[in-house]
Amino acid sequence: MTRLYLSNDTSSHAAGAHRLAEALSARPEVQLVRTSARGAFFLEPIVERDALGGRMAWFNVAPDALPAIIAGQGGTPIQEIPFLARQSRHTFANFGITEPLALDEYQLRGGLKGLEAAVGMTPEAIIQELNVSRLRGRGGAAFPVWNKWEVARQTESAEKFVVANADEGDAGTYCDRMLMEGDPFRLIEGMLICARAIGATSGYIYCRQEYPAAARALEYAIHKAKEAELLEVDGEDFELTIVRGAGSYVCGEETALLESIEGRRGVVRSKPPYPAVAGLYAKPTIVSNVLTFATIPEILARGGAWHASMGTERSRGTVVLQIGGRVKQSGLVEIPFGLTLREALDRFGGGIASGARFKAVQVGGPLGSLFPESKLDIPICYDAFAEAGAILGHGGIVVYDQETDMIDLARHFMAFTADESCGKCTPCRIGSVRGREILERIQAGEGSAEALDLLKDLGETMKATSLCALGGRAPYPVLTAIEHFREEFQRRFTH
Amino acid sequence: MEPSVAHRVEQVLERVSAQAGTRVSILDLLEKVEAAIGYVPLESIPRLAQSLGVSEAQVAGVLSYYPDLHTQPTGRHVVRVCLGEACLANHGNRVLQAMCKHLQADVGETTSDGRCTVETVYCVGNCGVSPSVVIDEDLYGRVTPDRLPALLERYK
Repeated sequence: MTRLYLSNDTSSHAAGAHRLAEALSARPEVQLVRTSARGAFFLEPIVERDALGGRMAWFNVAPDALPAIIAGQGGTPIQEIPFLARQSRHTFANFGITEPLALDEYQLRGGLKGLEAAVGMTPEAIIQELNVSRLRGRGGAAFPVWNKWEVARQTESAEKFVVANADEGDAGTYCDRMLMEGDPFRLIEGMLICARAIGATSGYIYCRQEYPAAARALEYAIHKAKEAELLEVDGEDFELTIVRGAGSYVCGEETALLESIEGRRGVVRSKPPYPAVAGLYAKPTIVSNVLTFATIPEILARGGAWHASMGTERSRGTVVLQIGGRVKQSGLVEIPFGLTLREALDRFGGGIASGARFKAVQVGGPLGSLFPESKLDIPICYDAFAEAGAILGHGGIVVYDQETDMIDLARHFMAFTADESCGKCTPCRIGSVRGREILERIQAGEGSAEALDLLKDLGETMKATSLCALGGRAPYPVLTAIEHFREEFQRRFTH
Repeated sequence: MEPSVAHRVEQVLERVSAQAGTRVSILDLLEKVEAAIGYVPLESIPRLAQSLGVSEAQVAGVLSYYPDLHTQPTGRHVVRVCLGEACLANHGNRVLQAMCKHLQADVGETTSDGRCTVETVYCVGNCGVSPSVVIDEDLYGRVTPDRLPALLERYK
């Protein structure tokens, strides 16, 4: 009997893993184990088998290559793949190794140790440990996690909620999807630790409609956790419910997300009050990103000081990057904060895709700034990005090549905001439409220097006066496109 | 509303009311109708509002807000081309153009034979193997315009 490993991740499927699984099901001599993905998507589909000192891997496998793999011919030791060997996997330590829904495997590899530690601690001590860890929220806003928890803990209420924001809408990112599909117990463990710290009675996972496999994995993992009697906080049942989104980007904003869980239009609320004081159904609520919750178990298991020992002065721990677009090596990268953007692109992205020339890179999804070649020496950490007027967001890094039309790209960003604006505040609702119109005029050859000035003025107004990050950040990719590629815009002017 | 459609709306409402004790929101109910019928008929709004004890305007507001809720029947298959940035960088807009040309339907339209509705989607988290196309529940990666005819072949 030959045991082979094949990822069950959505993107591995999309790359052809399902065809391999079909072909292997007809071979009784093969025992197929479906794992999470390594994150090295440029190599998918990957087939692995046990070997001395680790696993052997075969890359970009087509069905006709399977006989050779079953015969054990060729292959590369997995630890010799530079893309993986150069990473510091902590939150993603299990990826490519375990079966996502096997609770015993999760425990064998250190799972539930954080929760065990938390159960032996007072809520104050848990929050103090997070303070020591200096963990900042990984969803985009980078707010100190302990601070939010402390506010929710201190706010008195008979009912409190823990909500995982799994509305991973920033294009170019998928680390939350991978976590939910590939290591769902880690998210559940993180949420349970939070529930204990703030005294929450139930929890919700708001999972976007575009992630059906993640919702299915979570549904099953919750069922299994319940069977194992894990869904308890201080001896009381902790109900965990999955809520499915319906395609709205702004529902990733925490207050819009709460409105959506309550079943209404996903319209942003004014803050304060912050959700930690009055969130879901006006009760104290911690809303955190999936990645943030998944980072917490190991902090409790190993101590806050361990987490604080990695990264840069004000960005501690690891950053999870998702490198994509026109690079040779697309995939998920977990490394300590501090590497420069150029180093990350060279070391992991493997350079620009063959036949293409680098034009720009965008970090942080549709609200993130564009960087030209000359600006790549920026360290990947919250403060360097904030200083540059940029954001790390959810760690999405997308490389554009020379064929990308910057005016069309800028129009795309404004059109996106116009489509997704919740409509509550005027700068975003109307500004995005006017921005799109100006860019359409430039595209039609009716632009002028005044049009760019107007766009800049509009952008600054949106930045200063929008209610949430959608309107407030939407101008950044547009204004940085103009700043770094002004000539390209000017070439379209007719007067 | 055709009697058969009205009947299916009633079936959804019966199923929902049978789940005693759970909090049913407007979005919950609309998602259930969409899942059962494939769209939410505008004519069903008064009945849905009455069953939830909310105003028709509230139901209509939620229905018009969320892109995944349809108010018209779609084709037998829904084809969605991703226009997230990673897909755009890998020239996913060329895939969209080729898709529209191949199916002879624009974004938001259904082919005249009722086979496919063409939509765009904003990131399906498949950026590692972009550009992406989703047909019904099936996700495809590394899609190029020349792969489309073979890809669509199995969706009749």
